[in-house]
Amino acid sequence: MADVGLNKSKVATDEKKSPRIGVFVCHCGTNIAGVINPAEVAEYAKTLPNVVVAADNRFMCSDPGQELIKEKIREHNLDRIIVAACSPRLHEPTFRNVIKDMGLNEFYFEQANIREHNTWCHIREPEKALQVAKDLVRAAVGRASLLEAIGYREIPVTQKALVVGGGIAGIFAALDIADMGFKVYLVERTPSIGGHMAQLDKTFPTLDCSMCILTPKMVEVARNPNIEILAYSEVEEVHGYVGNFTVTIRRKARYVDAEKCNGCGKCAEICPVYVPNEYNEQLDARRAIYLPLAQAVPNTYTIDKTKCIECHLCERICELKAIDFSQKDELIDIEVGAIVLATGYDQMRVNEPEYGLEQYKFGIYPNVLAGLQMERIISPTGPTQGEIIRPSDGKHPKRVAFIQCVGSRDFRPGKHNYCSRVCCMYAIKLARLIKDHHPDTEITIFYMDIRAFGKGYEEFYQRAQELGIKFIRGRIAEILEDPETHNLILRSEDTFLDRVMELEFDLVVLSVGLTPREDVEEVQKLFNISRSPDGFFLEAHPKLRPVETNTDGVFLCGCCQGPKDIPDSVAQACGAAAKVGDLISQNKLIFPLVVPQINYDLCRGCAECVDICPYGALSINERSGKVQVEEALCKGCGACCGECPVGAIELRHYKDSYIYRQLEYLLKGVPERQLEAWKKGEWEPFIVFFVCNWCTYGAADLAGTSRIQYPPTVRLIRLPCTGKMDITYILHAFELGADGVIVSGCLPDQCHYVSGNFKSVRRVKMAQEILKSIGFEAERLDDQHFISAAMADEFVRVVNKFTEKIKKLGPSPIYCPREKSLEVK
Amino acid sequence: MADYALFLGCNIPNRLPHLELAARKVLPKMDINLIDIPEFGCCPEPIGIQELSRDAWMAMAAINLCLAEEKGLDIITLCNGCFETLRTVNTELKNDGHHKEKVNKVLSKIGKEYKGTQNVKHVLEVLYNDIGVEKIKANVQKELKGIKIAVHYGCHVLRPSAILKTDDPFQPKSLDELVNALGAESIPYLRKMLCCGTGIEGIDKENQLWMVHDKLVQVERMKADCMTMLCPLCYIQYEMGQLQLKKEPYKAQFKVPIMYYPELLGLALGMDPSELGFKLHRVKVDPVLQKIQ
Repeated sequence: MADVGLNKSKVATDEKKSPRIGVFVCHCGTNIAGVINPAEVAEYAKTLPNVVVAADNRFMCSDPGQELIKEKIREHNLDRIIVAACSPRLHEPTFRNVIKDMGLNEFYFEQANIREHNTWCHIREPEKALQVAKDLVRAAVGRASLLEAIGYREIPVTQKALVVGGGIAGIFAALDIADMGFKVYLVERTPSIGGHMAQLDKTFPTLDCSMCILTPKMVEVARNPNIEILAYSEVEEVHGYVGNFTVTIRRKARYVDAEKCNGCGKCAEICPVYVPNEYNEQLDARRAIYLPLAQAVPNTYTIDKTKCIECHLCERICELKAIDFSQKDELIDIEVGAIVLATGYDQMRVNEPEYGLEQYKFGIYPNVLAGLQMERIISPTGPTQGEIIRPSDGKHPKRVAFIQCVGSRDFRPGKHNYCSRVCCMYAIKLARLIKDHHPDTEITIFYMDIRAFGKGYEEFYQRAQELGIKFIRGRIAEILEDPETHNLILRSEDTFLDRVMELEFDLVVLSVGLTPREDVEEVQKLFNISRSPDGFFLEAHPKLRPVETNTDGVFLCGCCQGPKDIPDSVAQACGAAAKVGDLISQNKLIFPLVVPQINYDLCRGCAECVDICPYGALSINERSGKVQVEEALCKGCGACCGECPVGAIELRHYKDSYIYRQLEYLLKGVPERQLEAWKKGEWEPFIVFFVCNWCTYGAADLAGTSRIQYPPTVRLIRLPCTGKMDITYILHAFELGADGVIVSGCLPDQCHYVSGNFKSVRRVKMAQEILKSIGFEAERLDDQHFISAAMADEFVRVVNKFTEKIKKLGPSPIYCPREKSLEVK
Repeated sequence: MADYALFLGCNIPNRLPHLELAARKVLPKMDINLIDIPEFGCCPEPIGIQELSRDAWMAMAAINLCLAEEKGLDIITLCNGCFETLRTVNTELKNDGHHKEKVNKVLSKIGKEYKGTQNVKHVLEVLYNDIGVEKIKANVQKELKGIKIAVHYGCHVLRPSAILKTDDPFQPKSLDELVNALGAESIPYLRKMLCCGTGIEGIDKENQLWMVHDKLVQVERMKADCMTMLCPLCYIQYEMGQLQLKKEPYKAQFKVPIMYYPELLGLALGMDPSELGFKLHRVKVDPVLQKIQ
């Protein structure tokens, strides 16, 4: 691994001499210039230390604006650039590219957000807004004067991929990656690929046969020379990082030699052990030696060793001598550059008490079936060969009810709140299939809302209504069973007619929702990714990065990311495959080294940072006994820096010294100004607001974009994550004369670095204790807030509330001594 | 021999003395020693009073709990309503310091203090959990062979299930097993979990009787010899209900004997029917008694 793109000798000389800063203030049309005079801000900037030149322009992001920056860099030999304009979340990359073009390191750039955080939300207070703009530019100058060049690291890429899960999503991801010319390992836990789609009879909304469209793809996977199917295998361990994963896979023993077995099935015929058949949703039995489905890929029998009684009858009957009881589990290591998770879903086990759905009597009354069970009963390959009969007496049901939202959209505490997205459509599909088979069947669907949102879905739903399928909007309160006939009586409300009723049915199908796999937590830990509150794997961004995870090089597709239908699963699989191709088609990856730097003189190897790092990027070097950084794993959150008790770790680009300097500049002259205002009776609080880059900074941006007005009392300091928060920042801000300090990060469980927001909760508490112990008003430091990027209202509420609180407390005793002066114990 | 403070409630001593008789005669045979506390008042009733004033409801229940605490006895109740009140209040006061403080402030006026040392049990729980099906089976002298019994639990012995924790509120099995232990057969029937309707009796008598009607129809349909239950209010609804249902608009002629479970237990333990108060039953139980003979 090497630093590239950085001329070390040049940087060393650059950083020794005093910086030459250029400040560029944007009018942004009237967005900024309509409230304050940008030229005045530029004039002010010229008075600040190290500022060589300051200018303003109508649109800094436009070509003339960019030209202006380039021209000034040439003219004045500038080496640090500040643009006071919109949010850096919008145009930081634009301006970084400008200075990169001019041969400067892109990290020599700093942006002051005077639009979203200032002019847009202080429209009616232009004078105060001007003051805020000056403060923000001053703070930026302080920070910019210390900025250091940051190099890049280069890591090689293994041009192979791993796909975990052989359902429809995994199959498509594997095929697409293989078609790009890369080697793919497809790991499947069960003996055959195919997944849940292989259990379905027909697919909505076109009613094409599920197996007819799936089997060709399964065969294609088997035939593709770039794909190696590792069926009946599980991922055991994952090591490494993007581009360079080492994955250990357990190939479970089938006790059947895959080379010799031709799938004739004589062994299964003679096997005396009957086991509930998972493929048919426990509706019938398979043998202990079995092929899960007739079209299995690979077409190899497997002995279920947990059920086998070792009678060896199969061994005797197999003419090919394929049965091999001496087989053992095998561990193999593979090297891949990227991983796609397509581990799928489980149908909710609604008979378990955690669902609180005892009223449906699933598993107690024989004629209450779950969705997939009905699917198997209708399927020609199912336990009844497609004959629609009910379990209690094998008779053809004349009255069938479907109950929607079983287990989904349940807002009782601890239950599944989400919509499973497929149940409406699969219930309508099953209803139509029953109607196709037996047009005289009366079918009623009890629903909350019908969600027919996909292409062709509404039409499909409409057709079902035309066919005479009844839709009743109402929840089922209770299912009663007639002990003689085993018919079911459904107690329901028709919320359109405002009527409670009881209806009798021969068969009830529960439209059971989708839930994460039972072992989702282990898989999550294995691949070091996050999960959303619903339990499914969390994508890196809900809209803009739908297939990536927070771990680089690990991608998601299909239902493991959230419930979805087949078209969506396939689309996401293709998307994930494209992302994988994009990644592993490169020979090497280049990343800026925004990573921790260790001061080896201070580090004493206490491993506090090692424990706190959510990515496992830090470890203790066995020889030196000090901490070392695996740069490829580091995401640059800075949690380690805040945790280090001796200050031995510093995050590049967010060094403590930068933040101290930023605070010093921000608060330069502020105490005097505030005292003056206090005497005049015009005092307003001056609050330092530490925010994380992802959520609360975004909330402040959104408050600006939405033009929500709030008092110009807060100045934001951007951190990569609140996990980077250091107690000294808070203390320093107070020492310099801030009237109050707020810290805010992402919502609990939504931290972009797993749990950085919780780390700072602890530090904020500790800082409050410290303030208390020295006799300083600890309430000037607000408890940590959690504000997501969508919660502009909450951001403004916090600012208003805290401003009121500080107003009551009055000016900081640091610059405005009271009768009872501050005593340091 | 386990000692319990017998909480009779209001309905049993005032309206159904034969249930009290059965409890007092039969339960001691199963090693349940019933001790009277004459100061016991109304439980009070769990629905109306609670709606009126929850604080008053808790305080009044707490007086009863204190009386048992003073004697160091657990309470056994024969009525589902008393059970719900006393068990709920006892559980809440045990776990919620705020309520306990409030209640004790009221109780201090009569020189009492709730401590939370005793438990409240329904006779169903005592028979099922403490005595156990096996012990009952072992003590049966005369098996109730061939008697088909429709079991009715009553709502308030099961719900609110999170607090009462007696049995599964959707698929209870304790009373069924207790019935089967006597050699009788607990039969499945539609609307087994239907409420007796006492709660709406005062507001909508007509519909309440329809609820009784619907249930009795199913019981008769399954050819049950009798119904059994452990709650005096349910007992009244199903027994008196049969008389009331003879009138318009129901015009139904039901003849379903209603047996209090301790009565069945007494018969199975070999007691002579004359020892129990069967003559006080408003629906004659002779067919059942004959079948047992």
